[in-house]
Amino acid sequence: MSERFATSAEPAAPPFPPEDRQGNRMETATAARPSQIERFKGPIIEWLVWLAIAGFAYWQTIYFAKDIVGYPPGAAGWPRTICILMALGATGQLLYKLAGHDLAEPAPAAAKETHTGAHRVVQRLAIFALPFLFLYVSPWIGFYVAAPLFVITLMLLLEVRSPLAIAGVTLIVYALFLLLFTRFFFVALPNGRLDGFYEVNNAIIGFARMGL
Amino acid sequence: MESFLDGTLALFGSYHATLIFFLGLVGGMLFGAIPGVNMLTLGAVLLPFTASMNPTEAVMMFSVIYCAGVFGGAITAILFNIPGAPENAPTCFDGYPMTQKGQAGKAIGAAVMCSAIGGVASAILMMTATGAIASFAIRAFGPQEIFALIFFGLAVSASIGAQTLWKGWLSVFVGLLIATIGTDPVAGIPRFNEGSIFGWEYSSYYLSAGIHFIPLILGFFAVSEVLSQSVSISKGTRERPKASLDFPSLSEFWQVRFTMIRSIFIGFFSGVLPGIGATLAAFLGYSQAQRWSKNRANFGKGELEGVVASETANNAATGAAMIPLLALGLPGGALTAMIMGIFQIHGMEPGPLIFINSHDLVWVTFAAMFWANVAIIGLGWLQTKTVVHILRIPFRWLAPGILILATVGAYGLRNLMIDVWVMFIAGVLGYLIKTTGYSAAGIVLGLILGELGESAFAKSMQLMDFDPMGFFNRPIAAVLLGLGILAIITSVISEIRGTEVQKALMD
Repeated sequence: MSERFATSAEPAAPPFPPEDRQGNRMETATAARPSQIERFKGPIIEWLVWLAIAGFAYWQTIYFAKDIVGYPPGAAGWPRTICILMALGATGQLLYKLAGHDLAEPAPAAAKETHTGAHRVVQRLAIFALPFLFLYVSPWIGFYVAAPLFVITLMLLLEVRSPLAIAGVTLIVYALFLLLFTRFFFVALPNGRLDGFYEVNNAIIGFARMGL
Repeated sequence: MESFLDGTLALFGSYHATLIFFLGLVGGMLFGAIPGVNMLTLGAVLLPFTASMNPTEAVMMFSVIYCAGVFGGAITAILFNIPGAPENAPTCFDGYPMTQKGQAGKAIGAAVMCSAIGGVASAILMMTATGAIASFAIRAFGPQEIFALIFFGLAVSASIGAQTLWKGWLSVFVGLLIATIGTDPVAGIPRFNEGSIFGWEYSSYYLSAGIHFIPLILGFFAVSEVLSQSVSISKGTRERPKASLDFPSLSEFWQVRFTMIRSIFIGFFSGVLPGIGATLAAFLGYSQAQRWSKNRANFGKGELEGVVASETANNAATGAAMIPLLALGLPGGALTAMIMGIFQIHGMEPGPLIFINSHDLVWVTFAAMFWANVAIIGLGWLQTKTVVHILRIPFRWLAPGILILATVGAYGLRNLMIDVWVMFIAGVLGYLIKTTGYSAAGIVLGLILGELGESAFAKSMQLMDFDPMGFFNRPIAAVLLGLGILAIITSVISEIRGTEVQKALMD
């Protein structure tokens, strides 16, 4: 770092700004200050997030901080120690970064993004939201009805447009899932709370277990 | 030797026993390789049927499933970044980048060979020294040593998969903190299951049972990978991995011979200790390979040595895990606990006398584990030649199947929908973790070892009258703690030196 500053300190017009111990122009350091603040903003926010997590967990330990006979640390001793270690670790990381040791490995050259636009953002958000929607509706309409809808929607979101591919993949995934988990392993998946869906789910289960 | 030959003859001399051997082998490999199910699923399904089986064949079948299942999990770890079991998690770090570089065949080939070599070496050690090792391990390893070993394991493995040492440790602390959710191991007091946040009171039965590591593993590895690939598709940046069938050459194996030998000892040593098992073995094997490798900078980017280290170590732990089970009746993990169940179903009691009373059973089991590991080479080779072709299927077609399997796998664990929520939340967090340099593997390691570590610590402190210096009165615990502390200090120094060098290069 000092070398870099030294090389950049070309002869300047008088009056010369004062120099630091390495002979760098103080002006250079002053000019770098805003970018330094920018540089440390991220680590400080990261540190605060870690402190918030550790502090929150520590705060919640008061609800089970009960004494245990013959074990002075009690039920909260171990989790509190971890919270403290977490705060210390986050502080260590911050100090390490503030000391200028935060040179992360250069990221590999990312492939050029060819698909851009607002609808792409919506597509990505939908990819993240779809599993949660699937989980939310599964107890209501039953897993056996929700699963094929999930498969079809995900494939459409992943830009599969061939009806044959969509039908084929859905059929194969659904058949394997029914065979393996419903027929052989008897996994009791949610079969729906809503009228109609409950009956449909049970009919599918009955079909999968036919002959047993 | 004579006993081993007798065991081998008993195994392959009967059509029935041979059939069970191969069914266990193929079943273990398949279940290990299907995301969402694993060898434990197969074991749980088969356990009731063992009541009507000959105990020798039943124990043999489960031993074979154990060996094959630990190997099988490497396939999905390498091809899709989805570890079949926790012990295959370190295989993802280099196996999956190798797939992305078009070296899937090489990575799976290394996994096949190293699983077989690790397993065979472990079986030989098991056959020659079960009695001596078991009595040493149990006499010398009390709670203090178990705690010291976990501390050492975390100290050397903390930075795996993380961008910096600090991020690695913070990831481990998150895992350790998640492991405290549930009940405390001393008095069973529920923790983090109820409380209040600014007047909003919460209470959850689910949290009192703790957060299981399987949904987290599926989320961090499988779901986050599907999300990551899906985002790449939507950005138009996804490159399809090539389905290469190249096996590693003999010279490549020769170059990693020391890594293999080191991992065999690490795996065997970890496997002998009840509760430690193959997971810590794989992480330790990987971290030590990285520490001693000339190519350490390539670890995490598709280094063959990384796959070799973790797959050798986890399979070396399988034979070792049978030692405390057979010699002392102490199961070290879930599958060995099922084998213990088989003994109980048949009114047998494992322990020192089993070598006299059930000599045939012991040696058929030993022979079966030996030959199962040998057979992994042949069957694994065939599996490699076929399974690599899955990469030819477009990811858009595979993604829904992976998510459905993961969903059912997470749900089927305890029949709780909230486990699936945990999995998908972990998936989103895993996606974010990838972009921030923290380590999903560190969280999983902390979660798996946290409960065991706390329990060992509590027992140790009670045994030592709450004098922490008591750890240093026990030689093995003192050495392990000392090595752990040394590992932390050296890793901090090398981290600082590393960035100094990097900085100088940039300047």
